[in-house]
Amino acid sequence: MTGSFTPGDRVRVIRAHPPGHRRTPYYIRGKEGVIERICGAFPNPEELAYGFDGRPAKTLYRVRFRQKDVWPDYAGAEIDTVDVDIYEHWLNPA
Amino acid sequence: MADDRDHDHDHDHANPLHNHPPLQPDDESPPGRHEVMTEAMRELLVEKGVLSADDIRAALENIDSWAPSKGAQIVARAWTDDAFRKRLLADGNAALAEFGIDSGGAKVTVVENTDRVHNVIVCTLCSCYPRAVLGLPPDWYRSKNYRRRVVVEPRAVLEEFGLRVPDDRAVRVHDSLADLRYLVLPRRPEGTDGWTEEQLAGIVTRDCMVGVAEPRPE
Amino acid sequence: MAASNDPGRGYHDIGGEPGGGPIDPHVTQAKPWEKLSVAIGNALGKGGKKVIVTDETRRSREEMGEDLYNELGYFEKGVEATSRLLIEKGLFTREELEARMAAIEQRIREQGR
Repeated sequence: MTGSFTPGDRVRVIRAHPPGHRRTPYYIRGKEGVIERICGAFPNPEELAYGFDGRPAKTLYRVRFRQKDVWPDYAGAEIDTVDVDIYEHWLNPA
Repeated sequence: MADDRDHDHDHDHANPLHNHPPLQPDDESPPGRHEVMTEAMRELLVEKGVLSADDIRAALENIDSWAPSKGAQIVARAWTDDAFRKRLLADGNAALAEFGIDSGGAKVTVVENTDRVHNVIVCTLCSCYPRAVLGLPPDWYRSKNYRRRVVVEPRAVLEEFGLRVPDDRAVRVHDSLADLRYLVLPRRPEGTDGWTEEQLAGIVTRDCMVGVAEPRPE
Repeated sequence: MAASNDPGRGYHDIGGEPGGGPIDPHVTQAKPWEKLSVAIGNALGKGGKKVIVTDETRRSREEMGEDLYNELGYFEKGVEATSRLLIEKGLFTREELEARMAAIEQRIREQGR
């Protein structure tokens, strides 16, 4: 269950809007963050959703984003973050 | 401004299709469409041999075993046993298993509040929730307003719940939408020295473990 | 602004969507049929018969249409999504389900719950 990224790597979420069942929320697409941890490998939900077995499994990462990078008008503190669990095929090196 | 569709259960009660089913079995108001649909599915699945009556009974019994008191026990143990706390943070499911809790296949991940970080959980895409340790999610967790707002204005949402987080303490939102289910390990409050695990568990509420509140002594 | 006004954004995908109002902190207890609906889903799922998986019911919720999604409550959405999925999988037909629902409604009218 090794993926391409290690904790601390900067990544950018793919900005795409394909139809179908996706677990990458709209608001985080195209945003840049840092790999916080490798959560493990899980069957691909985009395949599971349609009755397939989801193999090969995808590495799931917890990615940490600065709120200021996600929302230009963010009203909270500079140090605030949002963590989103994102599968490997939605991430590129930043 | 909230529109009338915001809340999960905010239906148009003038429409007979949307009448909520009664809480009491002897209530004679008509059942809602989805209450009837649930019973119809149950009957069809049992008749066709997909599920047995015992499968359904066992699943109902399992749901009744879910409760925030489970999560509270785990938090209290983590506060009093540092080795357990470390195991809990490293592998939530293994630590839950020490309490005989089976998370039903979900990977439970515990995030720890500190003096520098406050964690709060949401699932913006549906309402994923660590049911085995917290029970069914409360209405507000499932509401569209919580799902919309906590990810973009967490401090304002927390203030609505009565929790003010100082600016030098980071608010960390977890959008729990994939294979992990998150539980917040709150900070042990001042004034609880010498308390037993049971006493400590008594102040750890559901909302503390979702991250919209903090435990208070008494 | 509805999420669906953005191309490529599902109606369920509402994180950060503008226009959210106050959060009602009132909490209700699940009714017996609501618990039953969850129990059926669990008994069919990963911890049970493995007839359905979470991402299938999630997908079914995302396919029921925005009006229904916004109109139904949490447990109702779950029942709606599960029933559509089971019909899709051929465990029963729409006609069987509707006929059974009609019979149950009549039974409740005549005998109560």
